[in-house]
Amino acid sequence: MARDVLIDLRHITKVFPPDTVALSDVSVSFEAGEIHALVGENGAGKSTLMKVFYGLERRDAGDIFFRGAKVEFRTPREAIAAGIGMVHQEILLIPEYTVWQNIVLGAEPVRAFGIIDVDKAREAVRQKIEEFQFNLDPDALVGDISVAARQKVEILKLLYRKVSVLVLDEPTAVLTPQEIPQLFAELARLRDKGHTIIFISHRLDEVLTLSDRVTVMRRGKVVGTSTASELTKEDLARQMVGREVLFTSRRQPQEPGEIVFCARGLNCSDTEHRARLHDATVEVRAGEIVGVAGVEGNGQFELVNVIMGLASMTSGTLEVKGKDFTHVDILTRRTLIAFVPQDRGKMGASLVASILEDAIMTHHILDPRFGTWRGLGLDYRHAAEFVDQIRDQFTVSMGHSSDPFRSLSGGNQQKVILGRELLLETPFVLMDQPTRGLDVGSIEYVHQLLLDLRSKKRAVLLVSADLDELFMVADRIVVMCQGEVVANLATDATSREEVGYYMLGGKEAVHAETGS
Amino acid sequence: MNILFGLVSAMLVGATPILLAAIGGTFTFYAGIFNIAMEGMMLVGAFCAVLGSFFLHSWFLGILCAVAGALIMAGIFILFAVRLHTDEFLTGIALNLFAVGLTTFLLRDIFHVKGAFTNAGIRAIPAVKLPLIDGIPFLGRLLSGYNAIVYVALLATVLSAFVIFRTRFGLRLRGAGYNAACLSSSGVPASTIRIWSLIVCAICCGLAGAYLSLGYVRLFAENMSAGRGWISLAAVILVSGNPWGIAVISLLFGFFDGLTVFLQGSRIPTQFTAMIPYVATLVSLYLYSVRKRRQA
Amino acid sequence: MRKQALSGILGVLAAFAIGALLLALQGFNPVATYGALLQYSLFGGSGFTATLTRSVPLILTGLSASIAFASGPVNLGQPGQLVMGALGATLVGLFVHLPSVFLVPLCILASLLGGALWSGLAALLKRAFAMDEFIVTLMLNFIADYFALWVITYPLFDPSASSPMTKPISTAAWLPDMGGVNTGVLFMVLAAVVCWLIMSRGRSGYEWRMTGQNSLFARIGGCKVDANYVRVMLVTGALAGLAGGLMIMGGPHRFVKGLGANYAWDGIMIAVVANSSISGTFLYGLLFSALQQGAIGMELVTAVPSEFIDVLQAVIVLVVVAGRVSLNMVFDWLATRRKLKESVG
Repeated sequence: MARDVLIDLRHITKVFPPDTVALSDVSVSFEAGEIHALVGENGAGKSTLMKVFYGLERRDAGDIFFRGAKVEFRTPREAIAAGIGMVHQEILLIPEYTVWQNIVLGAEPVRAFGIIDVDKAREAVRQKIEEFQFNLDPDALVGDISVAARQKVEILKLLYRKVSVLVLDEPTAVLTPQEIPQLFAELARLRDKGHTIIFISHRLDEVLTLSDRVTVMRRGKVVGTSTASELTKEDLARQMVGREVLFTSRRQPQEPGEIVFCARGLNCSDTEHRARLHDATVEVRAGEIVGVAGVEGNGQFELVNVIMGLASMTSGTLEVKGKDFTHVDILTRRTLIAFVPQDRGKMGASLVASILEDAIMTHHILDPRFGTWRGLGLDYRHAAEFVDQIRDQFTVSMGHSSDPFRSLSGGNQQKVILGRELLLETPFVLMDQPTRGLDVGSIEYVHQLLLDLRSKKRAVLLVSADLDELFMVADRIVVMCQGEVVANLATDATSREEVGYYMLGGKEAVHAETGS
Repeated sequence: MNILFGLVSAMLVGATPILLAAIGGTFTFYAGIFNIAMEGMMLVGAFCAVLGSFFLHSWFLGILCAVAGALIMAGIFILFAVRLHTDEFLTGIALNLFAVGLTTFLLRDIFHVKGAFTNAGIRAIPAVKLPLIDGIPFLGRLLSGYNAIVYVALLATVLSAFVIFRTRFGLRLRGAGYNAACLSSSGVPASTIRIWSLIVCAICCGLAGAYLSLGYVRLFAENMSAGRGWISLAAVILVSGNPWGIAVISLLFGFFDGLTVFLQGSRIPTQFTAMIPYVATLVSLYLYSVRKRRQA
Repeated sequence: MRKQALSGILGVLAAFAIGALLLALQGFNPVATYGALLQYSLFGGSGFTATLTRSVPLILTGLSASIAFASGPVNLGQPGQLVMGALGATLVGLFVHLPSVFLVPLCILASLLGGALWSGLAALLKRAFAMDEFIVTLMLNFIADYFALWVITYPLFDPSASSPMTKPISTAAWLPDMGGVNTGVLFMVLAAVVCWLIMSRGRSGYEWRMTGQNSLFARIGGCKVDANYVRVMLVTGALAGLAGGLMIMGGPHRFVKGLGANYAWDGIMIAVVANSSISGTFLYGLLFSALQQGAIGMELVTAVPSEFIDVLQAVIVLVVVAGRVSLNMVFDWLATRRKLKESVG
């Protein structure tokens, strides 16, 4: 079916100072009424391209044509006014406001003196909900509804402003396997009503299921555009990475050893006395990788915090290598636990510090070789040698160790953190979303690292939202839902669907939550 | 009975500058700005009020000058903290120091005095008798006859509650504080909202400053804001910006301020009575934290 | 490092330009004014030594603020801590009778303790009751001021004086001069060197800085964040207290009303403009001291009120801080242009 070209991006170039060429002479065109997927590994430039189009980033060269006319969106407001809306990867809503408040924010119906017409707003929102069959409660607080529901609010926000083009950035990253078909059905319905959908993703199965055409990007350049029905997953992967990619696990069978880590009956509440962890029990043995799966917000973060000593539990016990860790301070825990946190910037490092300063944390206390002057001083020379060791052992691409940490790419930052933590040589390693936001090369590297740890008989607890990752490296998968451990499955004996079923608490997500 | 009236009167008088500044601070608080510069805005407002009143022979023009002065301070803050992205905290501290230096310098340069400038030529803001209420025997004395700005402060409190919770601007204002990125991507740049909140805050602080130098007393003294801007900031943070809560806290501070004046005739050394507002701030911080802990 | 120096120099020059504009607007001659400033601060017999002497409280309070800001706690209580340190030194100097070699160190210790006590109070309130030290230290400033005023008006009042002040402290506690320069300067330099050692070479300094940049990261890393908080507050309070003590011992030798008035706030300002670096604090401290010292002479010669320096200082702070950010933006823009040419051209 021949369609008109709706959006034409020509020769777009974008540089992030000082060194990163995010987009290099990119030209793509999108047709009206299609679902077009933009595919590439993390760092390929697909998000950046759309942000440049949308007015969130300024391009350094190139032109944009919309409906045949040259346009320049300097702010998202202008893009929305032209009928283009973007839903970002991190859901950008205000949890303290209700669904209808979030939807009308910025385009509120008003009476005299700027007073908001609450009835009119709620009615308009209710109409839109019905029109697109989204199944939401307009008065629910966004902070209380599920992640999938919040995503719908984001989409509705744009539909309320009458956009005809929807750009979705990695929308399935936050959904369970069960919730994805529903999203796809909604998107297909939108397309059938005449909307155009641009869908950014790195998940190849989904891309092939949903889209009409696919454009592949790699390292800031366009590799090619094809019709989805003519492609296979292997074709796509090869285009994305430039070489053959393995989709099968390299995990060798191995008998696990003694119990290294044991958490039993953990209970933890938040400041409003809601139970965040309920009787959680997890065990990890030497030479074993245990994965923790679950929709974000079901207690994984609290589990990690309790293990590290950042949050207190109301009851339960923690044991590492037979030692009771229930009430010890953080430093003691660090002697036996290495920790790679989920948010590099918030918990894993100080972005403004130098690479060296971030690399020696914890070692500066636990390793006497770092001390001078009876422990009062820090031996910076030894620290520099240590950084060299990390750089060589973990193949970090970096400048001088005194450069600021944030000058490193995401993958290299993570390598420094991994190097620091793993060189603590602890029997137990806790990793929280270690491959989030990394490019395929770095992801492969981390997975290999995990498997190496496993063959060296260390015990690893891996919290991850990426089921593919868990199935690739984990021996067992425990599933968390509402703060409880609802399943403990052997990877080789289960499937993604079964895990997804437990992630939703054993309920099929046919009818979406209404926010209650 | 006279003591009661005296105390209530002193309470309202002492509360007004803090209340006004804190109401302004509420707007910046909801917008997500940590506005340390309120102290400096108030001081500049006080100075400009005297400047305007003396040279232009009108208390009304004095008020306008006070607001203008505070707006200039806000303008500098906007230029540095919002446009150039310098750290809000550092900019605020620098601005306060700038305010102290500038007002002291101009005090000497324009009025040729050190310490304080007082002159019969300064026109003070008059007191206002509320038309109907003044006649009522008991209530009249209690409610009527205060300086005009006192009533402005009370009006501002009601108005701000209305604007913040019922209008479109208020929804966006709070949105800027809750999640600025969300607001910006909804088509309303958060920086615009922040700028407006600073403007409102400056107007309020300017009025508060004008009250200090033209309503409360009739002079300008070096550093006469005396920490009230910080006390207002503390008040805003204590109640998380709620205008009604701010009214209550301000009255409390006003009470202590009035107590200071009241006790000056007594045998307690003046230095200790002068400490009262500051000790009171510490005590309320303590009570607040106790309350929070009890909730947890 | 070089970027900091560049933005500093450019900022100061730009501020001087703005100051010149202000002067011209008021009808003064900028060149003559700056000339007088320079002459009276650095040249002429007493200018240089007076600048050095004046820099003691400026640099010490600046160090106090710098270390605090770099490590996390928002200690704005230097004015109050200075006063309490001065009181401590005064008390010991008035009532303890020992030869110089013992009394001087004792007075210095008393000033350290006085300052640390006052900042420690704020730290205690924070740890025990979660009371934000930003507001607490500010309030304690006012309380300390009034308390000191009471002390010198009543209990320690010198009956022979016409305004509130104490009797002079024992001469054994007076700091000697060395060729016009007060030995207080030696103590200040010693303190600055120790601070530098701690912050750049010490284990504590590393932990403090990391905590100041990302306290969660430091805590997860095993640093004792809470204990460090208290230590930083005590150390920075002690530094400000030392400033007060040295002022008494090297200056008027008695607690006079209005002692230390603006030095501590200037110290905070210096920390801000120096971006909390130790060496930057030292240099900016000398600069501001020179400006303030020169201002007195400047007023004599050109009739520009000496308070102009307050304005100039604040302008320097604003411009340097803003310039730092803008300079980064300029560097980024230049780098972008360069990379663009490489990739496309």
